[in-house]
Amino acid sequence: MVSLLEMPQTLPQQLPRQNDRPADETESAEIMIDVRDLDFAYGGNKVLHNVSLDVPAQAVTAFIGPSGCGKTTLLRCINRMNDLIEGARITGGAIHLGGVDINAPEVDVVDLRRRVGMVFQKSNPFPKSIYENISYGLRIAGVNKRSQIDEAVEKSLRAAALWDEVKERLGANAFGLSGGQQQRLCIARALAVEPDVVLMDEPCSALDPIATAKIEELIHELKAQYTIVIVTHNMQQAGRVSDHTGFFYLGKLIEFGPTTKIFTNPSEKRTEDYITGRFG
Amino acid sequence: MTPPKHILGTFDEALSSLRNNVLMMAGLAERTLDRAVKGLLQRDDSLCTTAIADDEEIDQLEKQIDKDGVDVLLRFQPVASDLRRVVAAMKLSPNIERIADQATNIARRARKLNRHPPLPEEIIVPIQAHAMAMFKDSIDAFSREDVDLGRAVVARDKELDYMNKMANRRLTECMAQDPKQLRGYLNLIFVSRCLERVGDHATNIAEDAVYVAAAEDIRHQTVATGT
Repeated sequence: MVSLLEMPQTLPQQLPRQNDRPADETESAEIMIDVRDLDFAYGGNKVLHNVSLDVPAQAVTAFIGPSGCGKTTLLRCINRMNDLIEGARITGGAIHLGGVDINAPEVDVVDLRRRVGMVFQKSNPFPKSIYENISYGLRIAGVNKRSQIDEAVEKSLRAAALWDEVKERLGANAFGLSGGQQQRLCIARALAVEPDVVLMDEPCSALDPIATAKIEELIHELKAQYTIVIVTHNMQQAGRVSDHTGFFYLGKLIEFGPTTKIFTNPSEKRTEDYITGRFG
Repeated sequence: MTPPKHILGTFDEALSSLRNNVLMMAGLAERTLDRAVKGLLQRDDSLCTTAIADDEEIDQLEKQIDKDGVDVLLRFQPVASDLRRVVAAMKLSPNIERIADQATNIARRARKLNRHPPLPEEIIVPIQAHAMAMFKDSIDAFSREDVDLGRAVVARDKELDYMNKMANRRLTECMAQDPKQLRGYLNLIFVSRCLERVGDHATNIAEDAVYVAAAEDIRHQTVATGT
């Protein structure tokens, strides 16, 4: 039996788990994405104005704000998805990923998107088998060794908490999975190429509460290894899953800080009005 | 301070109802305390009986506030200042209910004292005035979300403790000089103690008022800062 006098020496060993560190302890954490003075326009329509923020590594950062505030645009800037839209361009400032300017001419966009995976609002598996959905990115990246691909498929599906549900039917069509399973498959597909960052654009908006809870639990587990940036309209979800939150309005970053601070005592009145439902 | 209108009118109504019930409960507790002390000072048993009877309504309001608070949390998941308002309302009501309990205790002691020859009951007048002022100001601090007033109330509790201590000392001396009235003096000491407890609950309310207005937890600061 442990004596009471010994307890102070034994208790701290159980506290805290790395994954449960308080948000304010991440202040000094490594910065994975550095957004500095970013301006962005669709043609002549400027949609981001002088946005600056630091996304800490191995943490979850949430972007919230009303529709059209620029949060998804910023998310898509991080892996240059906006390059695919004609007339869309960064008009000022820069985004650095691990210290590298992602818009520099020498940056290989395909490689950038391998390092910065993305999960979308609606799950979008390929019309292929579960196995092929995961292995596709690896094959594109030049991995052809079967054992290596098998290992990566299992590892990714396990990381996405899907392995136990699909391991007996890897050859089945991905469209046969439920909506929540399809979304986790998309997360597994993004993880297969071992990215540094996973961007999530409203990943649970089309899911039921159980599937949503599974994705949120997954996000919590994934942040031990990955940097996660999530756009969500669900403020309770932002409060539950994220360590840091940025509130956007009309293309401007109004406030960015630890999620606990943003949801208990925001510094800006516009943030308070938005999160409490007193906006506009 | 009234926040801007919420997108959901039902949320504003629910929050407003919660706040109004807290203020109504505080008003009833204040009246009960006043009646109990007047029952003692004016040797009026009927005031004491009314004060004791009032407690039931206050108890019911405490339950209602808890129910409404849980309902607001469940239905609207409030955040930021809204969350603090709901949490504070649910924390205030037990303190107000305890103040009403102290009033009931005073009223019961008063009925006993009223059957004895007069004692120096006036000794509790300044204590009652101080405790009542603390209680009213703590509720004002909550109602107006006044941080300065809340902090000021907390600071006034030490003076009430001192007043209670001095009253106890004097009443103990009286007991030695007039042992036949021992039971009466003990009842007066008990009344003084009840009023001192009112001050403690007012302090809790004031601390919660500061939390609502400034999101700052000012409880137990001497321990936290090691001073």
